[in-house]
Amino acid sequence: MEFKKKILANGLAVIGEVNKSAKSAAVGFFVKTGSRDETEQINGVSHFLEHMLFKGTEKLSAFEVNEAFDKTGAQFNAFTSEENTVFYAAVLPEYLAEVTGLWTELMRPALRDEDFNIEKNVIKEEIAMYKDLPNFDVMDRCRRLHFDSHPCGNSVLGSEENISNLTAEQMREYFTRRYAPNNMAAAFAGNFDWEQICSIIEGSCEKWQKQTAIRKLEDSPGSKKKQRIEKPNLVREHICLMSPAVQAQDPRRLAAALLATIIGDDVGSRFFWELVDKALAEAASMQFGAMDGTGIFCSYIRCSSENVGKVLDTIKSIFESLSESGVTEEEMKTAKNKILSALVIKNELSMGRLIDLGGNWIYLQQYRSIEDDINAIKAVTIDDVNSLIEQFKPGDFTQLSIGPAPGGLFK
Amino acid sequence: MEIFDKHILENGMVVLGEPMEAVESVAFDFILPGGAARLPEGCCGAVSVIADWIFRGAGDRNSRELGDALDGLGLHRASSVGSSFITIGAVLEAGNLAKAIELYADIILRASLKQDQFELARQLAIDAVRALDDDPRQKVMLKLREQFYPDPLGRSTLGEIAELQTLTAQKTKQIVKDSFNLSGTIFSIAGKYDFDAIVAQMKNLFETDRQKPLEPLTLGSKAGKYTHIHNEGAQVHIGLMTGTVRPTDEDYYNARIAVSVLSGGMSARLFTEVREKRGLCYAVKASYHGLKEAAGIACYAGTTPEKGQETLDVIIAEFNRLGDSISEEEVERAKVGLKSALVLQSESSSSRAAGIGGDYYILGRVRSLDEIKSKIEQTTVDSVMSFLQNNKFKDFTVVTIGPKEVKIQ
Repeated sequence: MEFKKKILANGLAVIGEVNKSAKSAAVGFFVKTGSRDETEQINGVSHFLEHMLFKGTEKLSAFEVNEAFDKTGAQFNAFTSEENTVFYAAVLPEYLAEVTGLWTELMRPALRDEDFNIEKNVIKEEIAMYKDLPNFDVMDRCRRLHFDSHPCGNSVLGSEENISNLTAEQMREYFTRRYAPNNMAAAFAGNFDWEQICSIIEGSCEKWQKQTAIRKLEDSPGSKKKQRIEKPNLVREHICLMSPAVQAQDPRRLAAALLATIIGDDVGSRFFWELVDKALAEAASMQFGAMDGTGIFCSYIRCSSENVGKVLDTIKSIFESLSESGVTEEEMKTAKNKILSALVIKNELSMGRLIDLGGNWIYLQQYRSIEDDINAIKAVTIDDVNSLIEQFKPGDFTQLSIGPAPGGLFK
Repeated sequence: MEIFDKHILENGMVVLGEPMEAVESVAFDFILPGGAARLPEGCCGAVSVIADWIFRGAGDRNSRELGDALDGLGLHRASSVGSSFITIGAVLEAGNLAKAIELYADIILRASLKQDQFELARQLAIDAVRALDDDPRQKVMLKLREQFYPDPLGRSTLGEIAELQTLTAQKTKQIVKDSFNLSGTIFSIAGKYDFDAIVAQMKNLFETDRQKPLEPLTLGSKAGKYTHIHNEGAQVHIGLMTGTVRPTDEDYYNARIAVSVLSGGMSARLFTEVREKRGLCYAVKASYHGLKEAAGIACYAGTTPEKGQETLDVIIAEFNRLGDSISEEEVERAKVGLKSALVLQSESSSSRAAGIGGDYYILGRVRSLDEIKSKIEQTTVDSVMSFLQNNKFKDFTVVTIGPKEVKIQ
């Protein structure tokens, strides 16, 4: 593995990790923009814009874009979060140059009114689709409740009303501000020729204009509010818990990831043994979400309405026991093994490697090899994890649940 | 040229391997002949109970000790229940492989199967079926298979609540005994391993007397043409399926290309016509779904209620239009897409373990990537067109879940 880096004069970071033994290569454009960078009026624009990039350029129609990707056999797509919009493709090495060239063109889209109006329908369908996924809906609403007026509570999709009112002009203005070369990184992983890739990027992207792209960074203690929403067509109780955690730039992020694994990994965690194994809940998991300048522990639990009381009591006692006695050495060892093996397995694919590579650059402006991460995980001590429990008190959370009939309220 | 490892134990259990040079991980699957279609009448869902129950203590370890032992290896479990098989697998770092296989031998051959643990496993299985009502997208595809495949192939892999409620530990124990038949079991492994050591360990742990061979399934009739399940959700979830050739058929690759022309990439017909041109859906996708005994093309689309009818009509029109003409470019894109997906998947040890195991079950041998690539290469516009002419889409099985029904023309 060999790390390569070049920063163009306009601020565009080009980074790559070459692995000559890989059978594939992956490319990603990581744009540091998401729903937290939106005002209320244009909420949902980042995600809508992500869709619009596939609609073509001055030279290419939407169909020609799709055709050009499909000709290379690329597995390509994009996603938008609260703080990043990522465009990616995994391909056979011989097609990487072509796909990279295509992405560089798409990063300067036409944003035609006609395409904008058709795609609006697709966005509204996506909003409707997620309404029918209560496990997603509950997290989205809980994030709003937890972050209160903090922009990290903004919905990625936006509301149907907001999307209806959004204009192509507002989107173009947002695009110019946020898709600036100094606010993004082009990342490459797998089997590729660095010099060739650099010359493609330079040729297409050097002319892009630098902009002032600012993001307001503030931490959030979380509202700790409790709320329940009734939806008559649901049959299960969907519960989301959120509490503050360290930010993405904090070296303690690995300790936070270990803590979330100990508390809420799918199997073998405290949630698993106390809730799922005992059939009180059919799903219970916790994740650590590292964000720019802030962070969250986020749990999702699904159970019957009758069990809500017992489930919440159990969760309370899990957190009480953690704050009294901390985690055990055995739990630390197991959590490390799980995270280390997941890391190795994920990074065996160029696409998996790309996401870590780009993420580390966006948040830390740093290259971290897999070995760096392995060593850092191994070095976390039990005191590191226990002091996080003490400082962040994960048992003191914001809670939002969505479920069928009245009852099952928080305690 | 790829190398495959193969050894057959005296009891008939097949051990397959595909070594991979560039990885530190290893993945394995035990493919056991106890899928949903093989269950006795009235026991629908027993397999999903079993998939949980067998992990609740085995050998001399209780449930907690077993869970801790597996977790301690940094192993990621992956069990799945299919129509004919239950697959119990894992992926992990190669260093812990021998210990992991030892634990899995306990789970498969010496699960404790205690009564109190049965109740918990059964409760979770019932809850999983109930939770389906809150996931209409998954539910519509399960219902679709149930309606499309001749019984018992389409049986719900999650189960039926009424049958789960009457299931007993004793009955389920008998099902474990009958379905964990090593003579009909395939073990597949891919990634970093030493095959001689694997064979020695498998002989040591899994060599038994030969068991009675499996009876072939007797297929009944299909359930229905159109089913609507009312739900006051935001969308109508549409599942549609139509029959096509099986994976063993000589036209298999023509069928795969045809499905790719319909819905392979973003330039394929369904995405272009349904989403790009008309903005009817966010999610619309058709894919090939093949069992050993039967196969179909399954399509999903989700849309708001007032657009449900138009969405379904456009989808069916696209299926029917496929046999009219296909361009050279469309076939080329479909070929590149399939070949590229094949290579990209070949970098993942878990994909390869599943791939070689599935091949062996359906075809009785493992296809090399080169063979698949060359078969894909051999397809032409003419071969795909003549396949479509000879296999016109006739019957569509449709299931919808949502606030509004659709009409089937």
